[in-house]
Amino acid sequence: MHFLAPSLLLGLIAALLPWIIHRIGRRRARPVRFAAMELLLRAEREVSARRRLRDVALLVARTGLAAALPLAFARPFTEVRSDLPAVTTRSQSAVMVLDDSASMRRRLHRDETPFDVAKARARDIVDHLSPDSEIGLLLASEGSSAPVAELSSDRPRVSAALAAITASARRADFAAALRRATQMLTSSTRGERLIYVVTDLQATGWEDVSPTMLAAGPEIVVLDASGGAPWSNRAVVGLGAEPAPEEGAQGIAVVAEIANYAAEPVRGLGITLRLDGAEVARGFIDLPAGGRARKRFVHSVSGGARQAEVVIDHDGFALDDRRACRVEVSRGLRVLLVDGDPRTVRTEDEVFFLEAALRAGGSNFAVTTALPDDLGTRDLAGFGAVFMANVARPSAAVAAAVTRYVEGGGGLFISVGDRVDADSWNQTMKAVLPQPLGLKRSAAAPPGARPEGETVDLRPAERLAPIDRRHPLLAAFPARGEGLASARFFQFLLLAPVPEAPGRRIVLRYENGAPALVDAEVGRGRVLLLTTSVDREWTDLPIRPGFLPLVQEAARYLAAAPTGDVTATVTVGGKREIVLGSDDRRIEVVKPNGDSRWLTPPAHTGDARTRHTVLFDETDEPGMYRVRAARADGTVDDRPDAAFAVTLDPSESDPARLADDKRPDRARAHGAGGPAPRRRLELWHALGAAAIGLVLLESLLTVRFRRGRFKK
Amino acid sequence: MDAKPEARSTAGKPLALDPTDIARLGSMSVRARVIVEGAFAGMHQNPHAGSSIEFSEHKEYAPGDDIRRIDWKAVGRRDRYYIKRFEDETEMRTFLLVDSSASMGYGRKGVTKLAYASYLAAALAYLLAQQGDPAGLVLFDEKTRQYLPPRTRGGHIRDLLVALEAAYPAGRTEPARALAEIGEIADRRSLIVVFSDLLDAPAELADRLRQVRSRGNDVVLFHLLDPDEVELPYDDVTDFEGMEPEDARRLLVDPRDLAASFRRESAALRERWRQTCLESRVEYRFATTEEPPADVLRAFLFARQKARR
Repeated sequence: MHFLAPSLLLGLIAALLPWIIHRIGRRRARPVRFAAMELLLRAEREVSARRRLRDVALLVARTGLAAALPLAFARPFTEVRSDLPAVTTRSQSAVMVLDDSASMRRRLHRDETPFDVAKARARDIVDHLSPDSEIGLLLASEGSSAPVAELSSDRPRVSAALAAITASARRADFAAALRRATQMLTSSTRGERLIYVVTDLQATGWEDVSPTMLAAGPEIVVLDASGGAPWSNRAVVGLGAEPAPEEGAQGIAVVAEIANYAAEPVRGLGITLRLDGAEVARGFIDLPAGGRARKRFVHSVSGGARQAEVVIDHDGFALDDRRACRVEVSRGLRVLLVDGDPRTVRTEDEVFFLEAALRAGGSNFAVTTALPDDLGTRDLAGFGAVFMANVARPSAAVAAAVTRYVEGGGGLFISVGDRVDADSWNQTMKAVLPQPLGLKRSAAAPPGARPEGETVDLRPAERLAPIDRRHPLLAAFPARGEGLASARFFQFLLLAPVPEAPGRRIVLRYENGAPALVDAEVGRGRVLLLTTSVDREWTDLPIRPGFLPLVQEAARYLAAAPTGDVTATVTVGGKREIVLGSDDRRIEVVKPNGDSRWLTPPAHTGDARTRHTVLFDETDEPGMYRVRAARADGTVDDRPDAAFAVTLDPSESDPARLADDKRPDRARAHGAGGPAPRRRLELWHALGAAAIGLVLLESLLTVRFRRGRFKK
Repeated sequence: MDAKPEARSTAGKPLALDPTDIARLGSMSVRARVIVEGAFAGMHQNPHAGSSIEFSEHKEYAPGDDIRRIDWKAVGRRDRYYIKRFEDETEMRTFLLVDSSASMGYGRKGVTKLAYASYLAAALAYLLAQQGDPAGLVLFDEKTRQYLPPRTRGGHIRDLLVALEAAYPAGRTEPARALAEIGEIADRRSLIVVFSDLLDAPAELADRLRQVRSRGNDVVLFHLLDPDEVELPYDDVTDFEGMEPEDARRLLVDPRDLAASFRRESAALRERWRQTCLESRVEYRFATTEEPPADVLRAFLFARQKARR
């Protein structure tokens, strides 16, 4: 023990005062000759134990008090061995990278998480850095902002920023964090530059950290906040929905994929399905060691958008024990096929392939075929989508009916062919066409070239350019667009160029750059324009594997009723684009915890056909996010069709630990070794508190014994 | 003689002088007379008109009673038949045993226990002399220090009062031996009155009381304590030491710590002797030295009068 003011220890002599006063008091006691000594001694025997205890307690309290005060004023301290790295003692510029990824939220023991441990360790480092050091503070989660983005000597500010940090549900990205930390340290003029990484050492997030990055950058000190215990985890890593024909027309199947990251198999793990918050099914699942298994819940539901959630029995990491998705159930979706080129030979009919694709097993479309002239008199409101295939010249009545239908929220698919009169279409159907129709174009074959792999139709043909799967129509296709890439297009219509509009997108292009499939919002509805035919006159697309999913997805897309949840799922930290309806003025997104955020679309040009969207990026927590819309008339309604699920990145569930040779502090030759630092542990605060406690104890004992006097 | 102190009057009670007031009176004979007068003032009896501590009385005739014992004078006066109860006409010898050990010398504020015992003994002796009953005196500590046998001659009461006046506290408390000696001397039906603080009294005393009582003697035990020996009302740290010879016991203590326990021990002592006397058919009277002796005497006489009816 050491003292800052050792001379004040002379005051310890005062500790003898209580004893001296006690002795003086005994010497000054008045002698009395008393007859009832026997009674007195009996009474003394009865209370002597308690009296001695009281006397000793009082003497100790008073002596302790008399000793504690000079001791406290002498400001004692001791030096203890610190568990912090030795480098913390050096004057330095440092950046603290705190791992706030989802895995840091698991439970270690009781309610403590690795993130709590990490924060405590980070706080220790901040507190014990030499006073002239400067430090910045970064978070390791993907896309996170920096709490202290520049090097600062303002220790209270850094401490306050550190205290305010909460763990996220995002994936870790140490490569980005280390790059940014390195960048921050380049502005420092100090020789000693360090990056402290406080993490649970989960391998996830370190994949992109390259040895070259480590070799070139500042020294890195890794502090382990994992608590040392192995982590055994089970997680819901996938969730989807599909029709369940075996359950009838109302049947859906919710399929959950469960991963077991432990070395031991799991038997009878409880798993629960909730629909719109209500538990509808519970089952059990066996998981192989280190493997995965799927659980299929079959359930009957009515149509519309539903929120599905699968929950497994909780383990130490509760965040990945549940997963949500939106299930849209399209039941009895009615589709009208307008046959612009009917034939007596069934296979040569314009809508033969369309109808075959829509009637394929399990698709559950109610397909109706009509002729163009019927459109003017038919009520289109009951159809989810209308396909106009190779219709020559829509009459005014047809155009009016179709326009009304689309602007009222209907979906229209237009395909062309040799019967289509482009001028007539551009005139009568201008309101719904995404782009005016242009000239017919035939594909030109390169001289002497022969279509590769084709033996049936040797006409020159165009192919599709690589597809962009970001569009919902194509999300279900493989990355290279298998099924569509092989399709050949012999003839197609060019489209007249128009300025870009927010609601219009080219979904597919030919290799020559011409649009193949154009998507546009019209009023509250949607129009898809295919610039070729849906029979085999102009293309062999109808006999390609991609035709069936393309047509079915197009029907669902136009009816705003996809069965899949792919487009309604965002990974934590991702962004969600929400399309406003024609009456929607503002959008409110309600998070799983009940917080909400209002989003207003940017001002538009006034064009009725302009598509309005808002972008929501506060997807911080996994769960279902509800969407509400403020209408033009002031009402606010739920938009279940726009609700979306935010899911955890499955890689955060993987407890695999970063290999020692991958650790940036061990991969480098110069580590953070050296003798462990010692830190000063000030004792006078405790002594002051003890003195106050002794005063209270002495007062209590004095009052109690003076008043009570050993009453029995 | 000192100026006559003012008599103290309590509500509904006769005038009675405090022990300290009694002490101021000139001689033991005056003190005895004042105490006796004070005691009888409350009993509405004149101590000078032949009253006795042994009362005779009448009982209304009932079938079966001996008609030879009908008091015809009473029949003439009251027009009712009364049986004259037997009145002992024989002389009753009384032995007054006063503990004069060193412990009886304790008295912090008022009179000592020995003085108080002397006042009571003197008053009783005076009363007995008035009735013509012989009274003897024994002053004892661990042995009999002075013995005056019961007599009725003229100067005896004076000798007895002088002996009481001259008594001083010394020696150890040993009432058993004195009581045994008197038990040997006393005739049947003697009245033996013991005044003692009973502090440090050996257990043998209980056997001796029982023995003396079994011989037909009437035994009264006056247990006298100083108020300090009941309450321990000391305030400061005190170095207590024993009073009797060879008592080397000392205790340095804050008496406030012991007061409650001391009160319990003191009460237990009194209760123990009260029970012992009850079992031995010995009359037990307790008094502190701050009570007016006349009150104590009156209570004693009244109780005996009541008991003999």
